[in-house]
Formats: sequence, structure tokens, C-alpha cells
Amino acid sequence: MKVRRLTAALMAGALAAGAVGCGGSAGTEGGNGGSSDNTVTIWATGSDNVRQIYETLVEDFNTNSEYAGTYQAELQFMLSGTGAQTLPDMLASAFKANQTNTDYDLVDLSGDDLSKIVSLIGEEALVQLDDAKIPNAGRVTAQSTVAADYVQPYRGTTVILAYDSEKVANPPKTMDELTAWMEANPGRFAYNAPGTGGAGDSFARTSVYNFLPEEAITSDDPAWEEQWDEGFAYLESIHPYMYTSGGSIVYPNKNQGTLDLLNQGEIDMCPNWADMVLSQRAEGTLKDTIKIAQIDPAFTGSLQSLAIPTFGSNEDGAYAFIDYMLTDEAQEIMVRQMAAIPLVDTANIDMTGFEDVENLDVSNFRIMSIGDLSTDFNQRWDSEIATLH
Amino acid sequence: MSKNLKEKLAAYGMVLPAFLVVMLTVAYPIVSAVIQSFQDGSTGGFTLANYAYFFTDEIQRMNLLYTLYIVFVTVVVAIVVAYLLALYLRFVKSKISRTIGMLYLLPRFVPAMCAVYAMITIIRDTGMINRLGQIFGVNINLGMMYHASGIITMNLWFNIPFAAMMIAAGLGGIPDSIIEAASDVGAGKLTIFKTMILPLSLKDVVVAATFVFMSNVSSFTTPYLMGGNSPKMLGIALFDQFNRYLDYNRSAALSVIMFLLCSVSAVVYIYTNLKENDWEK
Repeated sequence: MKVRRLTAALMAGALAAGAVGCGGSAGTEGGNGGSSDNTVTIWATGSDNVRQIYETLVEDFNTNSEYAGTYQAELQFMLSGTGAQTLPDMLASAFKANQTNTDYDLVDLSGDDLSKIVSLIGEEALVQLDDAKIPNAGRVTAQSTVAADYVQPYRGTTVILAYDSEKVANPPKTMDELTAWMEANPGRFAYNAPGTGGAGDSFARTSVYNFLPEEAITSDDPAWEEQWDEGFAYLESIHPYMYTSGGSIVYPNKNQGTLDLLNQGEIDMCPNWADMVLSQRAEGTLKDTIKIAQIDPAFTGSLQSLAIPTFGSNEDGAYAFIDYMLTDEAQEIMVRQMAAIPLVDTANIDMTGFEDVENLDVSNFRIMSIGDLSTDFNQRWDSEIATLH
Repeated sequence: MSKNLKEKLAAYGMVLPAFLVVMLTVAYPIVSAVIQSFQDGSTGGFTLANYAYFFTDEIQRMNLLYTLYIVFVTVVVAIVVAYLLALYLRFVKSKISRTIGMLYLLPRFVPAMCAVYAMITIIRDTGMINRLGQIFGVNINLGMMYHASGIITMNLWFNIPFAAMMIAAGLGGIPDSIIEAASDVGAGKLTIFKTMILPLSLKDVVVAATFVFMSNVSSFTTPYLMGGNSPKMLGIALFDQFNRYLDYNRSAALSVIMFLLCSVSAVVYIYTNLKENDWEK
């Protein structure tokens, strides 16, 4: 009797699980045809500052732009690093499942995400952009290194050297000068552990890829891994000069980890994102004496782009939003709220307090996309560098 | 429908939601994780390699030992301090003890994240202690950040109040009358403690210890923000396998290992509870 009851309960559970499972997967795949005629759904992913900026932009688009009233933008935001399915994975699965008329009307993609999508489902999954439908596109000269005809870059961001100008009068201008500075000032430099934040990734990867041919930096061919040795030897050679706490060398977690150390005066220099440093300085959470500098060869930067998946349901609305993102108004919002590097001429943009941004030239950006090699890279760093004493 | 059957159905109906939640969110993931932990990542075939990795790879072995070390020190220090605190609160009646009695639970109401950052601003090498020292011309560098001592300090902050609360509840159940009776027949304080208070509160001590042990084996926030790069605590090592290396089979194996570690203390917990039931009969 007891057994039978238990079986019945288990079966009910299994049935319910099945039902929930199906419902769940259908719901997360973007919903079919859920959007009415004028709604354009924008998908974005990133840190919380990206969410904030998008909420402001969507609001501005819906109320103040020339498209207000014609289209209604809606934001779907996914916080990065939460371990869930990433945006490229979601797009790839929707595409491979032959879904059409989804609400993936417009997606915001970093350089990495874009290369991932291209390698997963190819650029044909994106609409080839018709510049006639984006009047403002002519104002932007920057071009994506991947799938250039299929995406519209709208802002730039780059890793720079952040330093405390009170302690460092003449920041290094080249990687060699930086190395010499580290050796002369042991314990005053830190980069965050790769895999915990883009600044540390950029520092460690460029340090290694500076020893490789330039084409390697945009390749995910595992053959390049054999040439990492020299770069890792370099990382090992600078290891003794890194930040120390509790008697051992430490690579803090997260971009914010090194930035906090810099702000507290425990170190004098660290690689970090230009937008993070400048926006925190503008908010007053970072000391005024913290400045940024670019070195040569540069750390990596990237262009943030918008793309229209072929399986969305409001192409015209998506074009309208792209066009809006390239207006002076939208670009100014991005400069002032997140210290983004504008991609249009800044003559009509109020850059007060963000003059440093203007000096960052997007045409000099080194764009890195090594795809899945980054996983091997982090693993090798963890086992060879993190374990040094 | 008979009344009896109706009642039974109602009872099952009330249990069903909880049962389903447990099946779907606890039982199912455990089963699937165990299966995955024995699978090869690319072929899906049976393998023990995922487990072997964590015991043969030197870095991973260090992580395991480092975790056990931190957890062990945390458990011992937290329980000793908490026991003394609970004894004080139970047997000393004064204004100070009443005030401490109210204050010691406060840490339970501070969100973990805030507490960790608060601790960091105090103990870091440029933190409050260092700044206070500089007023007197001494440069105090505790070196606790990114070091086991910092993690242990933070763990104690979280766990002492918790353990003290559990032990104090147990001590509260010891009636004054038996202690008075013992002292009437001439038992000294030490004898009373050794022969009455300690045995009567031992169960609560063991239970508190198992809870402290379990919650620290898998801790994440504290070691992530305060720990170094190598060795790492298992919670961070698991995060690396899952989020950074995307190796789901090894992640599953490490989860099972952590689960087994915790179940050792769960066994102790259940055993102590069963024993009491026996004794109560």
C-alpha cells in the first residue's frame, strides 16, 4: 500500500517536472510572436552599469527621440557572470531550433560575444545592415573586425593603465618602461586574476600575445597555444614585483579588486577599464589624483555593437533604435553615465569632466578575440602563475 | 468519498508542494550531478578520472587541505569561544551579561556582503587598524587580506554568534535546581561543570559544530573577496571549474566530494539526535 502511494506521488512529481520543464524551455527561448507591431525588444548583457545605461537610453528613446511614439523599445537585460546561459548561447539555440518571429529584435554584443555568435551560427544569422535605414551610420568610421557588414558599432571601451599621479609623475609609455617601473617599485603594481575581470584578462593576454605575431590575437586556432611559453615566462618574471599581502604575492579578484587597492594607496598602478575608472572618478568614489594612460603596445579594447538577428520580429524598429544610438543625445548619455568612448564626432557633445575619453583613439584599439582559447589560458595561468610563491 | 479518504487526500495535497520542490530542486540535481561526475566530458562514457583529478592534481589537493585547515580552525575556535560566551550568558547575571546577551546576535542581522566589506576596511593593510596605528606613529600591516587568517577571522565573526545561540539554548534547558542540588551536597564548581553541565550540553555543542562545519566547507563570498590565488577554498575551486573552465563533469565531481565532506558531519548530527531520542524514552 505504502509503496503504491509512493509510486503514485513520484509519478505525479515526474509529470509535473516534465510539464514545468517544457514550459520553462519554451518560455526562455524568447517567446514566439509576443511583440506587437511597434514594440522593439533589445537584449543586452553586462555589468550593472550597462543595465543602468540601457534603461536610461530606452526611456529616452521612448519619450524624447524622433522615434518616440512610432516605436516602443523594451529592454531584456541579463547580468553577466551569473553562470546562466549567455546571450550568444541563447541566440544560437533559437537559430538552430529554426525559430522565427521571436522577440530577439535587436541584440547588444561585445567583440567576444560577436565572435562567439559568428563561430556558433555564422554571420548569416544576422541581418546584413542597410545603411540607408541608419541615417546616422555615416557619422561613425569605426568598424568591427568581425562581421563588419552585419553589426553597427556604437561605443568603444578599452583597458588602460590607471595610476595615482601623486605617486607616479611620469607614467610608463611602453610595455618595456612598464616592466622597468615594476622592477623599480616592487609591490606597487597589481593586475586582477584572469577570468575574474576583463582588465586582468587584457593585461595577461596582451603580455603573452606581445610575443606572438599580430594575427594570433584574433585567432582561436589552438596551434597558437604552443607559442605561449615566452609570454608566460614573462608573467613569471614580473611575478616577484607584484602586490604583496600577508607575505605572499596576490592577484585580487575582479577589476574592482585592483581599483580598490589603487584607491587605498596599497598600489600605485594597475590595468583597468577606462570607463570604470573615469565614471567612478566622476562619481567621487575614486580619488581625483587617479589618472589614466595608454601604453604601447596597447592593452585590448573593444567596440560594442548592435546586431539584428534574422529571426527577430521588428526589423524596422531595430533599425530605428540603432539610428537613435548614434545621435549626439544618446552618445552624450553614454559618455556622461558610463564614460564610454563615443564613436561620433564630439563637437556637439558636452565632454566636461570626461576629456580623458576624447584622447582615447578607437582606431588604435587592439581587438582581441581568441575564443575558447581563453579557457585554456586561464587554466594555465591558474596553474603556473597563481601557484608561484 | 469517505471522510477518512478525504482527510488523507487533504494531507497528501498539503505535503505534495513541499515534496515536489524537494524532488525537483534537491533530489533531481543531486542524482544528475552524481551521474555527470562519472561521465567523460567528451564521450559521455563511464570514468573515474573526474574524481582522480581532485586527489592527484597537486593544486587541487592543496585546495582540499587548505579548506579542511580553515574549516577545522574555524570550528574549534568558534565552538570554544561560543561555549565560553554561552556559559557566561547562562550563569552570570549582571547588566553587562544582559547587554552582551542582546548584542551578540546582531551580526546575524548584517548582510554577509556588508560584513565582509566592513571587515576588509578594518583589517586591510591600509585599513582602520593601520590608520589608527599611524596616529601613534606605528605602521601596522596585519597581512590578513588574501590570507587564511583573514578568512578565519571573518568565519568566526559569522559563526560565533550562531554557535553561541545554539549552545545557549541548550544551556538554558539545564534547570537551576539540579545545579543547586549538586552544590548543596558539596560539589565544587569544576565538578559541577565536568559532571553535569558539560555532559548535558555536549549534544548542542556537537550539533553547533556540525552546522559550522557544513556552512564553511562550501563558503564562497568570504574566500572570494578575502582569499588569495592559490591555494583556494573548495567553493572557489568549484566556481573556477564551473564558470571559468566550463568543465561541468569535474564540477559535478567536486560537488559530490563537497557533499560527502558535509555528509560526514551530517552523519554525526543525525547520530547525536537519534541518541537523544533513545535516551528520552
